[in-house]
Amino acid sequence: MDYPIWNVAMGGGVLMAWVAITHVIVSHFAIGGGLIIVITETLAVRRSDPELRELARRSSLVLILVSTVFGAISGVGIWVVAGLISPGAIAALIHSYVWGWAIEWVFFVLEIVAALVYYTTWDTISKSAHLMVGWLYFIGAYLSLVIINGIVTFMLTPGEWLETHAFWDGFFNPTYWPSLVLRTGICILMAVAFLLWPAFKAGADRRPDVVRYLGWWFLAGVTVSYAGYRWWEAALPDTVTALFLGEAPTLAGLAATRSFTLWSLTVALAVSVLALLLAPKLARGLTAVVLMAAAFGFFGGYERLREGTRKPFLIHSHLFSNGLLVSQIDEINRTGIALHSGWVAAGDPGLENLGARIFAAQCSSCHTLDGYQSIRDALPTVADMELVAADDPPGTGEVHYRKQCSACHRDIEYQEMAGVLPTLEEIRDDPEIIRELNLGMITTTVIQLREMGVEITAFDRETTFDMRGLDRPSMPPFVGTEEEAEALAAYLASLDSAATGGER
Amino acid sequence: MNTDLIPALDAAGLPGPPWLFHGLLVFTFFLHLIFMNLTLGGTLMAFVANLRGGGRPADADSVFARRLMGVNTYAISLAITTGVAPLLFVQVLYQQYFYSGTILLGWIWFNLLVLLMIGYYAAYLHKRFRGPWLGVSAVAFFAIAMTHVAVHLIHVQPEKWAQFDLGALSVLRDPTYWPRLFHFVLAAVTFAALVAAWWAVRRARAGDDVALNTTIARSAWRWAIWATVLQMVDGFILLGVLPKPVLLGVMRGGLPVLGPLTVSILFGIGLLMMLARVSNPVEKPGLVSGTLAALTLTIAVMTVTRHQVRVLYLEPATSQFQATVVPQWGNFTLFAVLLAVGLGTVFWMVRRVLTSPAEGDEAA
Repeated sequence: MDYPIWNVAMGGGVLMAWVAITHVIVSHFAIGGGLIIVITETLAVRRSDPELRELARRSSLVLILVSTVFGAISGVGIWVVAGLISPGAIAALIHSYVWGWAIEWVFFVLEIVAALVYYTTWDTISKSAHLMVGWLYFIGAYLSLVIINGIVTFMLTPGEWLETHAFWDGFFNPTYWPSLVLRTGICILMAVAFLLWPAFKAGADRRPDVVRYLGWWFLAGVTVSYAGYRWWEAALPDTVTALFLGEAPTLAGLAATRSFTLWSLTVALAVSVLALLLAPKLARGLTAVVLMAAAFGFFGGYERLREGTRKPFLIHSHLFSNGLLVSQIDEINRTGIALHSGWVAAGDPGLENLGARIFAAQCSSCHTLDGYQSIRDALPTVADMELVAADDPPGTGEVHYRKQCSACHRDIEYQEMAGVLPTLEEIRDDPEIIRELNLGMITTTVIQLREMGVEITAFDRETTFDMRGLDRPSMPPFVGTEEEAEALAAYLASLDSAATGGER
Repeated sequence: MNTDLIPALDAAGLPGPPWLFHGLLVFTFFLHLIFMNLTLGGTLMAFVANLRGGGRPADADSVFARRLMGVNTYAISLAITTGVAPLLFVQVLYQQYFYSGTILLGWIWFNLLVLLMIGYYAAYLHKRFRGPWLGVSAVAFFAIAMTHVAVHLIHVQPEKWAQFDLGALSVLRDPTYWPRLFHFVLAAVTFAALVAAWWAVRRARAGDDVALNTTIARSAWRWAIWATVLQMVDGFILLGVLPKPVLLGVMRGGLPVLGPLTVSILFGIGLLMMLARVSNPVEKPGLVSGTLAALTLTIAVMTVTRHQVRVLYLEPATSQFQATVVPQWGNFTLFAVLLAVGLGTVFWMVRRVLTSPAEGDEAA
């Protein structure tokens, strides 16, 4: 929160999602592809099967073009984007796990060198030497997953690390092994999704065999993924699973994501059994597209679920996604965010301008002004009030109230609210009344967010926090003095008239 | 100095003593430079040679260009791979400065990723389809060099961050920007040229297309000579335009700082003399290998000097912060052992591949 702020109109989170999603798809393909390609070549050598050999050979070009550069660049891209949007958070993670990343880099070097050698030595070295290179590639790639899996799972379920802060306690955390199994299955799914395309180039007489061969791989991938997923869910703390499981999940959106994830895997299973195993002659490009979509849907759904359940933390119960440490809340509330960050302190000390800098420091890692997670859309405006008060045509006032207001006014029915609101004419005659009302509501919310921080500091810091009882469990608290809370509220309230003159 | 805009040190502390990370940063950056030089210098030279070859496949310039881009098949991937480690260690040591520098550059820094992809895939497309792709690749890699120099100069000058916040491109007006950029670019060209010359000499000495390889070796040698001449001029300009406190820091740094700088300047002069002594590299293979080895050593020493200059730039800021050290010696030992095993495995694998040639049905 004390770094300069990079303003991205589309939202830093969206940019991170694009980079991370492309990276995880490619990197899992690179691992699973390595396994399938080298086993395929092994079978080709043992059975003297030229078609399998060609499948391995063609696939290795995809592997080299996609994984050694695109995978590597997008992997670096995650660091680059994280450093731009959440520098304090990524710095904390790197300081705890630098040796994990350094070890992963060693395996990465082995993986990349082996991939380059493997691709460029077809037809030029002995079969046994070539297979040895292929196996070294897979070992390097898989071991890099073994390492990075520890860091990724640590972020959601740090487990005993919260008490000991010991590297290996965080590394072998409660979801480490389930996640490794799950990701192993996903690696195979991703690999088959890509390798179907080179498989379609096989000769017409052998194509069904080659497709069915990949079908068995896909079935294995689905089975391992499903087992890993279920194990992963079972290993999550109850406080986390309650967010998306049960009759009344805390975050309904995540519950829907879970359904989507499992249905995607079901579709992938059905299509693979029908089109790859039972009727491989019918498999076409469309089959591959459907399987890719279903496999990506499952993988993307799982990643969304993992990220969503971690919110609002980067390291659960320790570090918020905006770089705020739980241990800093008290101090910053006492001394102020401006004392903590020179970028907040520098510039015009006027209330709204100070508030703008506080917003940049504390809120902009998740919220944009008008794009993703638009803060302007989340705030009450004069236009909202007009729509609610007008109720024209009848019924629209209530619809708008539910959409725009009920998230905060959960306990107040529309009729009740309409009874105390000024009339449409009164609002139009003097919109300032509404602006003041809105400022009051926003101030109350910011103060509530500040009080939420006080509640969080009372949690036992050596166990996973239960955020369910909090007012806004997926948001970091506001930190700063009461005057700074007022400054933030003043800035947020000014967004209504500043950009739209009261019109949404 | 006013440290108001400098973020706080990470509370977790350094997972090892600072000297360890300084050493790892310098060592891994040197590894990265080897492949980065081949990528950047090779692509720039290939672009020019390709133009001079005029699309005639048998022309020596065209062969030279193809050979350089052939090396790049490996070099680009390895430049990215070896670049990961220094990127990791710079974040450990200089998180406050490095992240701030990248944020002030914003999209320009992010576009590094886009440029890398363009550079690599354009190189691949050039090999497949020719056309303008080699030029695209060369421009992309040059732009990456520009970005790196920009982020370096911004992150080492926190006293100017408020100014960079108003417009990061003002870094282009920094007196050291262009000399520093060309210092790296010229070194890249020299290194790639000497590797190309060394390879051509080996092939010519083995009796493989002697005339062609002799022409390529001479051409590459000329590239190396002229790049080194310009480098000598540029190097002294860079030294001269360094901020006064930094230059004074170098001069007063004693043997640890002046030593590497002096050695690298002497190496530079020595390199020029070695390069000038050869008119036909094929006739002096020992000198060619020696020159390449001397250049590699020079780059290693200059990597140390570059790091020391960064330390001097940042000294007024870093002296205000005291990092806590929470060493993880067990994990470091594991990393060191795995690094040795990993590099040993790579060496063994390459050796096995080189000693297992096969043809026809016997081949993979």
